[in-house]
Amino acid sequence: MSGEPTTNTIQQWIETQRSERSRQDWIIDLGPFVMLGSLIVLFTALSDNFLTYGNLVGNVARNSALLLLVALAGTFPILQQSIDLSVAALVSLSAVLTVILISQIGFLAIPAVLIAGMFAGFINGFVFAKLKVPSFLVTLGTLSVLNGVALIITGGSTITFRNPAMRSIATGELIPSVPNLVFWALLIYAATVFLAFRTKFGRYCYALGENESVVELAGAKVDRYKIYPFVLSGLLCAIGGMLLALRISSASPGVGDGLLLPSIAAIVMGGTALTGGVGGPHRTILGVLVIAVLQNGMNLTAVDPFVQEIILGAVVVAAVALSIDRRKIDVVK
Amino acid sequence: MATKKTTNVESAENPRTTRDGTEPCLRTESISKSFRNVQALSDISISMYPGEVIGLVGENGAGKSTLLNILTGILTADEGQLYVHGEPVEFTNPREAAERGVSLVHQEIDVLPNFRGYENLFLGREKDTIGLLNQEEMRNEAQAFVDDLGLDIDVNEFAQNYSFNEHQMLEIAKAFHISRDAENPVILLDEPTSGLEEAGREILFEKIDELRDQATFVFVSHELDEILEITDRIYVLKDGKLNGEFETESTTEEDLQQSMVGRETASDYYRVPDQTPASEFGASALEVDGICYEDEVGPVSFSVERGEIFGIVGVEGSGKQRLGRLLAGALPATDGRIVIDDTEVVPNSPADMVDAGVGYIPKDRKSEGLLLYQSVLKNTSLAMVRDMFGRLPFLNMGAERTATEEMIEELNIKTPGSKALVHGLSGGNQQKVVLGRWLARETPVLVMDNVTRGIDIGAKEEVYRLLRELTDAGISIVLIGDEMPEVIGLSNRIGVMADGTFAGSPVDSSPDNKPAEEELIQRMI
Repeated sequence: MSGEPTTNTIQQWIETQRSERSRQDWIIDLGPFVMLGSLIVLFTALSDNFLTYGNLVGNVARNSALLLLVALAGTFPILQQSIDLSVAALVSLSAVLTVILISQIGFLAIPAVLIAGMFAGFINGFVFAKLKVPSFLVTLGTLSVLNGVALIITGGSTITFRNPAMRSIATGELIPSVPNLVFWALLIYAATVFLAFRTKFGRYCYALGENESVVELAGAKVDRYKIYPFVLSGLLCAIGGMLLALRISSASPGVGDGLLLPSIAAIVMGGTALTGGVGGPHRTILGVLVIAVLQNGMNLTAVDPFVQEIILGAVVVAAVALSIDRRKIDVVK
Repeated sequence: MATKKTTNVESAENPRTTRDGTEPCLRTESISKSFRNVQALSDISISMYPGEVIGLVGENGAGKSTLLNILTGILTADEGQLYVHGEPVEFTNPREAAERGVSLVHQEIDVLPNFRGYENLFLGREKDTIGLLNQEEMRNEAQAFVDDLGLDIDVNEFAQNYSFNEHQMLEIAKAFHISRDAENPVILLDEPTSGLEEAGREILFEKIDELRDQATFVFVSHELDEILEITDRIYVLKDGKLNGEFETESTTEEDLQQSMVGRETASDYYRVPDQTPASEFGASALEVDGICYEDEVGPVSFSVERGEIFGIVGVEGSGKQRLGRLLAGALPATDGRIVIDDTEVVPNSPADMVDAGVGYIPKDRKSEGLLLYQSVLKNTSLAMVRDMFGRLPFLNMGAERTATEEMIEELNIKTPGSKALVHGLSGGNQQKVVLGRWLARETPVLVMDNVTRGIDIGAKEEVYRLLRELTDAGISIVLIGDEMPEVIGLSNRIGVMADGTFAGSPVDSSPDNKPAEEELIQRMI
């Protein structure tokens, strides 16, 4: 069988399947790596400061920690073929809540904010799963509601707190020369990857993204598993908002603005298709790094901030175009 | 006139170029085609005469699609020659073939839903005056054209408002229209009944019959009874070769099966001798007592013993399919009770029924049975995931890997591996994955809705063997089916459904007492 072309048609068919699959996966799997690699080569050539520990960890990693959290939050709803558009608004509200609660209840602010985030996510999930409202509509609504609440709480202005102990949660270094922000983000990254591949929750997320009625007939409590991704999303956004507030000891109602688009771009670029079922949180980090490196590199090479906006938007569209799901071009027989 | 003749290689030397003095409107001479190392077709010589309806049958992979593609110019033959009305032709694309009178009506109808009938008819060949569409002219011409054909469609209607039948008629009209300059077109119908219900099938057959003096039809289907009903002559393909040519009048389903599969059939086909005898049944596994769904289904009562196959037949709309969904928990029962292993179940959701030990195999495996773009492993373990580590949220990766490997082995699932996507598997192997999902979970009661739908004869035989093995192991099966001979052949008892409930008590169908098809049909209506 080895080397010799076999005459067994089934064996031949099996080999064709193997070669076709690997060729297709090759492109999808390697895309973000190639992109990241070329950006790193480009910026290393253009700027002496780019490829230094200080820049990579202190700037790229630390500045992208928040984006990573928000992108991970958005990954699970997208995996199950829904979407959470309220992530950025929830980050803002959580940041604002953190600042206010710290001055009143100190460390207890942490669990309080996390529970509030999960509750907001639960509402999203509940309306989506039980009342059958399309998720983009639900979360577009909550986006507006959450923004409004944040504005009311703060009266529209920036609020601050003074609590060095709590501030160090975000700014300290539990592990020498690794900023805590990066440490927490990576810890949560590992946890979400575990959730995606080693738990029933993760398995059903992928399955629901593919075909809900199959999962239901297989005996899963579908509604419950459609709500969980939103609760998780709420939790991760709350963590993100909280770390953001702790890091700068202040928060304003618009602090999370501008995170939504890059987070979705990172998810899609990583390989999680908007049609659900493929990709996963383990790949989302690639998309985040592409965006982070691109932003950092453009800053180092002094690209006009307005032009940066244009480039970022173009990259997002290009990434979505490249990651078009193969089943859309597959002729269903 | 039993001119049953098995054509083989000698047909190449002796092609039937004429019949009663007429020239065939389409003839192939020793056509061969190979893909890489696979010989898809070898030495196919067939002829089609004006006014004929020709059947083309064969298992999946026998070369039917390749032959159709060559006839319509999608593929080019490696060897051999096509003749249209005796004239050698070479088609390089479907358009060319259609203009010479050979066109294909697909399995998936390709009509633009947001276009009107006449717009679809003229699609790609619109009439215009310097870029402006002559809509009125096209509309009138289209209506006159379909009226001439005797097709009852309104060309001014949007195609999305057409019934499946009307779509098909529009497709057929398109085929006629495109080849209107050719003399006696040949229209190839690829699985034309796969999306049709009983009534639609009748309409299609009627139309084919009416149009047969204007065209030659080639009818490709897995459903042998349809082939026998509509055709005049049948070609059987097997492993890329022409394995037989039959005059329909003197042919039975068994003749065709034998020619397609190449092994003897008869009652051995359904393995009737292996049927678990009533004396070996275990205790009652499933008891259904007066179950209802609003006023549409029920009340239905029956019980299934351990090791029994309980068949359910009925016409379309008799409620047999809904009964299956009730048993699956996918439809909430409004009254009645279900008892499994002496425990009463409240079927509020599929989860409840799965917990109670009922596995459901839906009729449409692509939309309800499988995660097409996920692996064989994830599909096989989908039902067992729920019970892993009790209520803990973790997956037992080792257990699911073992279970999947076991199922691939036991059910003989032909796949490149447990990580291959089920999308790439053949229909029969896909169905085995769905079956494996329930076996991996050790489900004692299986409810199957048309378990052999759309799979080829070889795979059907394998499924029948599996069902016998399962009942030997004490599994109970509720077998809902549209194909009467299959349900009769496999079942121990048969419930006949009419108007949502059983017409009389279940019919005995033990090996030496199989009911006749007519007997059941009488009860169905």
